[in-house]
Amino acid sequence: MTLLAVEDLTKSFSSPSGIIEPVLKVPIFCMQENEQLALRGASGSGKTTFLHLLAGVLSADSGKITFDGDSLHLMSEAERDQLRAGKIGFVFQSFNLMSGFSCLENITLAMNLNGSNDPEKALEILEQVGLIDRRNHFPRQLSIGQQQRVAIARALINRPKIVLADEPTGNLDPESTDVSLRLLRSICHEWGSSLILVSHDHRVIDQFETRLDWEELNKIKKSRKADLGDRID
Amino acid sequence: MNPIIISLRLARRALIQNSLTSLVAIFTVSLSGGLFLGAWQIKQSVNLAFAQSAGGFDAVLGARGSQLQLVLNALFHLENSPGNLDWNQFETIRSQPGVSEAYPYALGDNYLGYRIVGTTPELFLKHQWKPGSYYQVRPPGRIFSESAKEALVGAQVAAAIGLKLGDRFNPYHGLDFNPDSKHEDVYLVVGILEGTGTPMDQVIWIPITGVQRMEGHDPSGAHSISGVLLNLKGSSGLALDVKYNKQGDRATLAWPVPGILASFFNRFVWLEKTIATLALLMAVIGGLIILATLRSTLHERRRELAVLRCIGASRWVVTGSIIWQSMLISIFGVAGSLLVYVALSRILSILIRAQIGVKMGTPFFDQTLLMTSLGILLLGLISGWLPARKIYNTSLQESLNPHG
Repeated sequence: MTLLAVEDLTKSFSSPSGIIEPVLKVPIFCMQENEQLALRGASGSGKTTFLHLLAGVLSADSGKITFDGDSLHLMSEAERDQLRAGKIGFVFQSFNLMSGFSCLENITLAMNLNGSNDPEKALEILEQVGLIDRRNHFPRQLSIGQQQRVAIARALINRPKIVLADEPTGNLDPESTDVSLRLLRSICHEWGSSLILVSHDHRVIDQFETRLDWEELNKIKKSRKADLGDRID
Repeated sequence: MNPIIISLRLARRALIQNSLTSLVAIFTVSLSGGLFLGAWQIKQSVNLAFAQSAGGFDAVLGARGSQLQLVLNALFHLENSPGNLDWNQFETIRSQPGVSEAYPYALGDNYLGYRIVGTTPELFLKHQWKPGSYYQVRPPGRIFSESAKEALVGAQVAAAIGLKLGDRFNPYHGLDFNPDSKHEDVYLVVGILEGTGTPMDQVIWIPITGVQRMEGHDPSGAHSISGVLLNLKGSSGLALDVKYNKQGDRATLAWPVPGILASFFNRFVWLEKTIATLALLMAVIGGLIILATLRSTLHERRRELAVLRCIGASRWVVTGSIIWQSMLISIFGVAGSLLVYVALSRILSILIRAQIGVKMGTPFFDQTLLMTSLGILLLGLISGWLPARKIYNTSLQESLNPHG
């Protein structure tokens, strides 16, 4: 069953010189429930912008995004906030945990934003990612790999329909990459969450059955995006 | 969970994370609020305490001179006496139809710095120092006899220098203690007064003839007194004012006592205004410090707030957390202000009690305090609203890529 459908999606940004530069044009993109997909592309090519559009963080210039039966482009900002809180999980390259909150609190905060509060459930997922004994530690007291596992737990705590992972292993060593990726994929699979993982690392991409080349998906030629790359991604 | 509670949690954590800058902001707000309250409220308390400490007298008759000096000298036992009156003048005013009570007093001696005041026993038997309250002598003590060398000691004097029933002491000449000016007369302590919270507690009372005829005093002053403490009937003060102050030239009638005290306090309006201006300036600085604190923490929190948006926090939750952060500083600031105010009141109360004997009431809470507290909260709201508005209007993309 189709979970996510994109039609004629376009997005532009103003360059520092004030010129409107198109960065993204995706004629069609589709994803099924429970599907896990890897999106490969070079840094600065607009992949993060695509994820932000899918999550409703950004608004498209034109085109349609249908997610779980709802038209994202027709939703108000408050409705998109609710959608992100309940149905979309985010995993960032730099983890982005709340530094003043413990591991457990980082996870319960995501639950709270979705209108629920069940510390037992948060403890369960911490157990699942192997960090139950670190529940009261703050992010600064954890290793890089452990921080990413907390971020994965936070993204998944509300059993989202989809997890958007933006270079989640970009800052990890090979061992932590394997652990994090295995956890992310297995929990998504177990809970029926779809996964879009963006990476430029072939070792990560190659582990997915479904792989897409961003350069194929995005019809904007690379040369036109060159001077905007860092800002967009 | 309620978005307001989530905002509050985020704000609380931000405060803890930036505890040093937050404490500086809270301290500044507390100090400015406390000083502001102090400037207004302590003045009110002192005025009230002085008005209530006038010992239940309407007027004082004394030598020609300043009415204020007379009141401070007769009722608060401060300053020097403006001069002496003849005993006949006491008899004259006592017989006036508008006078309900008249007690002569004479001073000029001390014991270890505490004033010795001579008067008649009637003062302690007939006078109500506040409505319904007569002076009480601690049992088994008694009031001095008119013709004996006996003393009745104020509660504060007894506590301070340990005078007790049966003790004997030699008065010293003058209002200030000088070890070389000891009189040969010996007085016996026959009673200790219960505390009244008025300057009466700081005085040693003896028969008026004791002061008049103290060994070493000028014999020509044997019929002199320092003044007369008066209570008047109805509006008789007006007639007496005309008689003594406008037509006469031998004595001064200090009347009405509350009006004279009010004119005394009006002399300090400049001080009160200076403190209030300083406090207002500090309040502005406090507001700016809150603003600077929020701006510096926001610089660090900006990406965190954007991430919060990504995981589902609404714009209102994020901006609400900034406003809450400011409001929490203000709320702690209000609490701190009250502490500073109470501490200032206490210190001032102790100082005034020790120096003058006037007992200030407990710090009171009224509309000024409420308005000041609301003012501090409003200051916090405005200081929080400015950066919150900026964050509210910043796009998520911009926050996620702040260097773009």
